[in-house]
Amino acid sequence: MMSARAVRAFGAFLLAMILSPALLFAAEQPVLRWGADCDGGAPYIFRDPDKPERLIGFEVDLVDALAKKLGRKPEFIQNQWDGLVPGLKRGDYDIAINGIEITEERLREASFSIPYFHTYEQISVRQGNEAIHSLAAARGKVAGALTASLAERILEEAGGIESRSYSSQTNLYEDLANGRLDLVLMDQPVAVYYADPDPRLRSVGEPIGQMSYGIALKKENRELLASIDRALKELKAEGVLRDIYDRWGIWNPLMAREFKDTSPSRPARELERYLSSRDGFSGWKSKLSRYSSYLPLLLEGALTTVKLSVLGMALAVVLGLLLALARLYGGPVLSTLSLVYVEVFRGTPLLIQLFLLFYGLPYLGIKLSPLVAAVLGLGFNYAASEAEVYRAGILSVPQGQADAAFSLGLNRRRTLRHVILPQAMRVVLPPMTNDFIALLKDSSLVSIITMVELTKVYGQLASATYDHLGLGILTAILYFLMGLPFVRLARRAERRASQGWR
Amino acid sequence: MATPPFIDVQGLQKSYTPGVPVLRGVDLKVRKGQSTFLVGRSGCGKSTLLRCLNGLESFDLGKIRVGKAELERGGGVRGKPGLKEIRALRDHFGMVFQGFNLFPHLTVLENVLLAPQVVKGLSRSEAEEVAVPLLEKVGLKAQLLSYPAKISGGQQQRAAIARALAMAPEVMLYDEPTSALDTWLSDEVFEVVRQLDAEGMTQIVVTHELHFAREVAEQVVFMEDGVVVEAGPAAQVLKDPEDPRTRAFLRKLQ
Repeated sequence: MMSARAVRAFGAFLLAMILSPALLFAAEQPVLRWGADCDGGAPYIFRDPDKPERLIGFEVDLVDALAKKLGRKPEFIQNQWDGLVPGLKRGDYDIAINGIEITEERLREASFSIPYFHTYEQISVRQGNEAIHSLAAARGKVAGALTASLAERILEEAGGIESRSYSSQTNLYEDLANGRLDLVLMDQPVAVYYADPDPRLRSVGEPIGQMSYGIALKKENRELLASIDRALKELKAEGVLRDIYDRWGIWNPLMAREFKDTSPSRPARELERYLSSRDGFSGWKSKLSRYSSYLPLLLEGALTTVKLSVLGMALAVVLGLLLALARLYGGPVLSTLSLVYVEVFRGTPLLIQLFLLFYGLPYLGIKLSPLVAAVLGLGFNYAASEAEVYRAGILSVPQGQADAAFSLGLNRRRTLRHVILPQAMRVVLPPMTNDFIALLKDSSLVSIITMVELTKVYGQLASATYDHLGLGILTAILYFLMGLPFVRLARRAERRASQGWR
Repeated sequence: MATPPFIDVQGLQKSYTPGVPVLRGVDLKVRKGQSTFLVGRSGCGKSTLLRCLNGLESFDLGKIRVGKAELERGGGVRGKPGLKEIRALRDHFGMVFQGFNLFPHLTVLENVLLAPQVVKGLSRSEAEEVAVPLLEKVGLKAQLLSYPAKISGGQQQRAAIARALAMAPEVMLYDEPTSALDTWLSDEVFEVVRQLDAEGMTQIVVTHELHFAREVAEQVVFMEDGVVVEAGPAAQVLKDPEDPRTRAFLRKLQ
């Protein structure tokens, strides 16, 4: 006879057996892939200055709450801000959320959730400047705004204001503080983080304009849109949204009106924490320890840069050589094709080529991964320049060398391989080294197709920490160090190739 | 002559630019084992003739036969000659250039090893068995591992001769082999030519050094304006030429 305890244990075991597939299923939560650009800075989505490997921001909290409601696991996908909506179309992620204002133009390209945040443009001026308190008072003055932002449009429509275009808010406020600008017009949450805490600056005047941030989705994705709208309504009703905005210190009069919630704000803990962490970041000791904590991220970016550059250069070398040979020996058809290739790839910007590879090809049904697109873009572009370098190198070998080789019975291929190319090598190595270093630096352009390489990491850290100078120097040093081994390698190869001439 | 000549060139015509002929119907016969010297003013077409023989230049009209290999252009023959035809012709010849044309990135020894290894597929040691004795023969035993830039012009030209000999050609062609050398260095080079002649090598030499032609040549061919003006035994052509143009040329030179 089994004891009652044994029976209970056996029953529990059976139950576990039956439930385990269900448990496994529950563990495999579907993911919610969300795209954003984490070098937009505080308070949206940015790297925690204390723990740079961690992403924080009010939109991170929002996505976490949203994903919980949807029963999904959030997965962050980095993309350049301008590429967020195109990335939706490519299917790189399910939703895009990064202070994306709902506008008519954007509604044509994507669908949007109900707004999760309402805000306005805020004027900031230098401390002590009492003259400017509205746009009307800013006539004849120099104003700054982010490129292609609502603020920029408002400045242009106001008339009589000289408007200057910037790509980062830190540079904007820095130029305001040092007198290059008289005022800055900027989204209110940004002003809260970058203008208000700065003792040299202050925000003035009434709210200007109105904009509403929404979550963008691919148009076909109606089901997800409906459940996101439902979840946002619930989060609003439960006070979760209000709580998030309070913690980040960005609750504003417009929100109070739209959300019909006039209760006073609670302390902005996250804002306090961020400011103390950012401003505690002074003095050489704390700076050094801070930089060393950034090093792993920067090195990871540097590794991506090296990987991209080496693969890109390898492609450029092989393709460039084929192009040069086709041009010189390929007969009229191949020679013309090679010429056209060189002219087209040399005559158009790398940036455009990358965009076409990454966002253009999907229209033809070819979807390349960011790494593949980046390597192809860099390789194809530099192949054009390599082709010309190799052609010059081959032409620099006197005709008598080929005559001698032919007279010895070497055919054209063997003459190239054993006589012409080894001699061309000597001439070609210095400009090739040059090209490789140039490619190493140009590789920073691939951040526009979602690759996070060294310059991108720099951008993310700099906008989160407000330290462009120190991080800039650190990044420049890393680039320099990355190039060094290749320069040395090239010197060595050059010495070997110059055997006999010295 | 009872036996047909080893090299038979008939009616060779060639122009680099249409309407400006360089060769205007050249006939040339060379017997096996004979050393033939081509002389004439610069631009008379002798270098071009040499380059046509081993296929470095194409020609427009005429026929070249070497041993059993034959290349004919013009008349009934259309289109470019195939690589095979050119190779069949070229395989008979070794060529020495005015500017030496040694491969500067290879040592003297490697210069000689390259073709046997790459073209004939010999192993390095097999190729060395061919190359080292040849280099010793031309007096470069001590320079095997030197790079071309490190040795004298005479040494370079002798290395170039060894390089050509390594492919065991039946005929050696020399395109003004000493024009870039002073008298002493020229003598070094011609010493090798003389030695090869003594060994029975068939040779065609383009040169301005008539004293040497007198010593070595069995046949001297005088060319002017793209045609052969006079050809015959050295003693006859150089001492007692028939054609007034040959006489004028020789007078200028002496």
